[in-house]
Amino acid sequence: MPITTTKIIPRLGASALLGLGLAVSLPSQALPIDECIAPADPGGGWDFTCRSVGKLMRELDLVDGNVQVTNMPGGVGAVAFSNVAGKRADDSNLMVATSTVGMTQIAQGRYPGGADTMRWLAMLGTDVGVILVDDDSPYETLDQLLEAIVEDPTSVAMAGSSGAGGWDHIRALRLAKAAGLPGDQIGALRWVQFDGGGPAVTQMMGGHVDAVSTDLGEIAGFIESGDVRALAVLAEEPLPEPFEELPTAVSQGYDVTGYNWRGFYTGGEVSDDDYAAMVDTLETLYESDEWKEVAAQNGLVPLWRGGEAFNDFVRESIDDVEAISREIGVIQ
Amino acid sequence: MSDEGASDRAVLGDRIAGAVLALLALGAWWHAQTFVTGFMQPVGPGVFPRLVSVPLGLLALYLIVRPGLNHRWPGAAALCRQLGVLLLLGAYAAFLEPWGFVPSTLVATVVLMRLFGANWRQALPYGVLLGLALYVLFEFALGIPLPDMPGLSV
Amino acid sequence: MEILDFLAHGFAVALQPDHLLLALIGCTIGTLIGALPGLGPVNGVALLIPLAFNFGLAPTAALILLVSVYYGCMYGGRISSIVLNIPGDEPAMMTTLDGYPMARAGRGGEALGLSAVASFVGATVATIGLTLFAPLLVKVAIRFGPAEYFALFVLAFATIGGVTSGSFTKSFIAACLGLLLGTVGIDPVSSVARYTFGWYELYDGIDYIVALVGLFAVSECLLFLERDRDKATAAMRIGSAIPGMRRSLDCASTIGRGSVIGFISGVLPGAGASLGSFLSYVLEKRWWGARGKFGEGDPRGVAAPEAGNNAAAGGALIPMLSLGIPGSGTTAILLALLLSMNITPGPLLFEQQPDMVWGLVAALFIGNVMLLVLNIPLVGFFAKVLQAPSWFLMPMVTLVAFVGIYSLNNSPFDLYMMLAFGVLGYVLRKLEIPTVPVVLGLLLGGQMEFNLRRAMSISGGDWSILWSSGISIGIYLLAIALLLAGLVYALMIKKRLE
Repeated sequence: MPITTTKIIPRLGASALLGLGLAVSLPSQALPIDECIAPADPGGGWDFTCRSVGKLMRELDLVDGNVQVTNMPGGVGAVAFSNVAGKRADDSNLMVATSTVGMTQIAQGRYPGGADTMRWLAMLGTDVGVILVDDDSPYETLDQLLEAIVEDPTSVAMAGSSGAGGWDHIRALRLAKAAGLPGDQIGALRWVQFDGGGPAVTQMMGGHVDAVSTDLGEIAGFIESGDVRALAVLAEEPLPEPFEELPTAVSQGYDVTGYNWRGFYTGGEVSDDDYAAMVDTLETLYESDEWKEVAAQNGLVPLWRGGEAFNDFVRESIDDVEAISREIGVIQ
Repeated sequence: MSDEGASDRAVLGDRIAGAVLALLALGAWWHAQTFVTGFMQPVGPGVFPRLVSVPLGLLALYLIVRPGLNHRWPGAAALCRQLGVLLLLGAYAAFLEPWGFVPSTLVATVVLMRLFGANWRQALPYGVLLGLALYVLFEFALGIPLPDMPGLSV
Repeated sequence: MEILDFLAHGFAVALQPDHLLLALIGCTIGTLIGALPGLGPVNGVALLIPLAFNFGLAPTAALILLVSVYYGCMYGGRISSIVLNIPGDEPAMMTTLDGYPMARAGRGGEALGLSAVASFVGATVATIGLTLFAPLLVKVAIRFGPAEYFALFVLAFATIGGVTSGSFTKSFIAACLGLLLGTVGIDPVSSVARYTFGWYELYDGIDYIVALVGLFAVSECLLFLERDRDKATAAMRIGSAIPGMRRSLDCASTIGRGSVIGFISGVLPGAGASLGSFLSYVLEKRWWGARGKFGEGDPRGVAAPEAGNNAAAGGALIPMLSLGIPGSGTTAILLALLLSMNITPGPLLFEQQPDMVWGLVAALFIGNVMLLVLNIPLVGFFAKVLQAPSWFLMPMVTLVAFVGIYSLNNSPFDLYMMLAFGVLGYVLRKLEIPTVPVVLGLLLGGQMEFNLRRAMSISGGDWSILWSSGISIGIYLLAIALLLAGLVYALMIKKRLE
């Protein structure tokens, strides 16, 4: 079988060296990243982050061989988080995909550990929240949808890829609050969780829910095909092409933005040198034209924060989300 | 599945199973009450387990009242071999990571072959062969990283 | 017909000699991996994705290679189901019910040949359905909301009593046990840990592959130890695949029904191939009633789930390609495969990359033809493997399963879990409680629960949403009818026995 040849040669070389009695412990050296854990099933944002970045790393020769993508779903990333914390805290060949969704979980105390448990490598880009209705929905504008919600919160069933209190839900609730929904009425707005943005949108197309709040990237195809109508994107500025026509919530008078950045962490016991080398690798990748292209294809805006700057940003994000969660009543 | 010995009316096995399952259902129901319903959920995390534990409990009680057919349980010698295999596999799982894949697997294959009736002269060479074949299959052909021996990269 | 042009083009591409060679390599490797218990399409495809990239294969060639591996693994799963009573993956589970008794009666080759033909027909029906009805079926599939899915799962569990020839009570007990075990882990809706007792290894729930391999492979190994030594060591005769292929003519109507049922359940995302093969089997068993010998080596018990499973796998391509929703674990692998080749399934895929879509359909079809041909030499090969003395064969199977399970998460905990399920499987089989419903409960329980909770979230806590649509009422009526038919049939058998 031809499979063996690619891996067997370096391994045979390595074992031959051992055989020569050279099994002296050499000073540890930064090894290239060879595994990316996507804490979800294939198809979603974290899986995409791992797969596209892993593939680019190989194509740009930033690693020897392949970056293996491991899907480790469970607890919105909690399973992967506890696995890395418990077993692979010093593995400098490993990175794990995360995003604002992960920060929301940490902020609400749903991971077995806080930000200090891990070393935060970098973010490479950001996705943006979007509010959608079906193409033959009675709601033509964000105003109409939010008016209906404020008037009778029970009249609208909204859906997204996160659970009640998760990032998709929080973004929808902030809009509702900005439109004047009183705090004690928040519980009356119905929220339905699906396995991802795609399933949520399809269920909306089937008439089972009225509106969807999720990330643009995963469902961009449905907007382009005209199956759904985007009432608002939760960005500060209008998006680049091909989404430049989509109205922002800010431009419609609701001061709400909701990004979902994509980045990576590694174990908390990775040495400073290895950590710096990993951040460098990611920065080289970020600067390539290929990454810009992949990001644009998938509705991501390239955006770099790495190393210490990212570390600080993560803590800031967690504090922000915690404050919002408290304000809305997700946590007491 | 008619190959596991003749069926006979061993009422006791079903009654014990019914009792165990009824207790399990009761425990599941009771424990489900401690699950806290989260933010904005009409149906909390405890509802479905309770919905399932009711029919489980009722059917388990029915099994106690009206037990059915069982297969014959094994004799002492077979039971010992079965326990031996379970213990061996459990130990294999425990030693896989601290010892590394190759040594723990070699021990496991040889002993397992003994338990399945091979004599030492068969078990030793073929056990070693199987252990190494597994290593080559998983580590190289399938590209799955296996635990190394301590201090070595094999 | 524009679609037919694209499809013809897809076939023209797939039939190039180098592509056929790749399909042959892929199917062979896939079958060998799939036949190892605990290893399935996940391993096969994961193994070959980097290889396809390293060889710099063109996207179409890579797709053909990977799709052949995918199908090869699915077929390999049947082989261990039939000859060892150990399913290679979860949709292959139903094939053990009649395939293994056939093998024990020396008709293993026949069962393998039959399953190859049934798989082929199922896949063909799915390909035709996909070609003709894809846009229409998408419209029907999205009519299925949470309440309708819940009804569908109720239907599945209402018919579970007919899975095995054993008692109704015990089948339902097994299903409830599986459903309860399925709730273990972090509840994704509320993030509450259920029945984990502080073990973080349980947070992700019980992996159904671990349960499947434990319940079937480990318990089989334990049962083997107590069988009569002389009888047990007598090698099983496999025979040839040819009579099975001929036999498939007798089973033509079974294969046809199985294909249609499988295709329909495949089109519904979330139902998937397991439900397809399950429903095909159960409905076929009901169809023949007392005239069939299901559970004792009835060839129709192999043909129905095999046709259903492959038709479902083909049908699942519709929501996967046109909506980007993987219907089941195995479709999720195909989705990951497409994503890694920069193909993003979604509503625009059929319009923007028709060559890719129809190339994939053609590749799937060619993979099936290839398996049909490969089947004859492979049956001979596996017959040889089974000639090995049992003191070699059983440790080999057990340890391959062990290492396969370990490699899922590199976790010894999974191994302990598998042993626990092995003991459970052993005890259940001694008590004549079927193990298939346990795995089905574990497999489908999560989706059943979440669709119930989604439906309740939509209605704001009003239970009547569950029976408020025509589709769900229809499904419940069918479930009641099948449940009653099963009860009547069981009573009839009992009367006859007395």
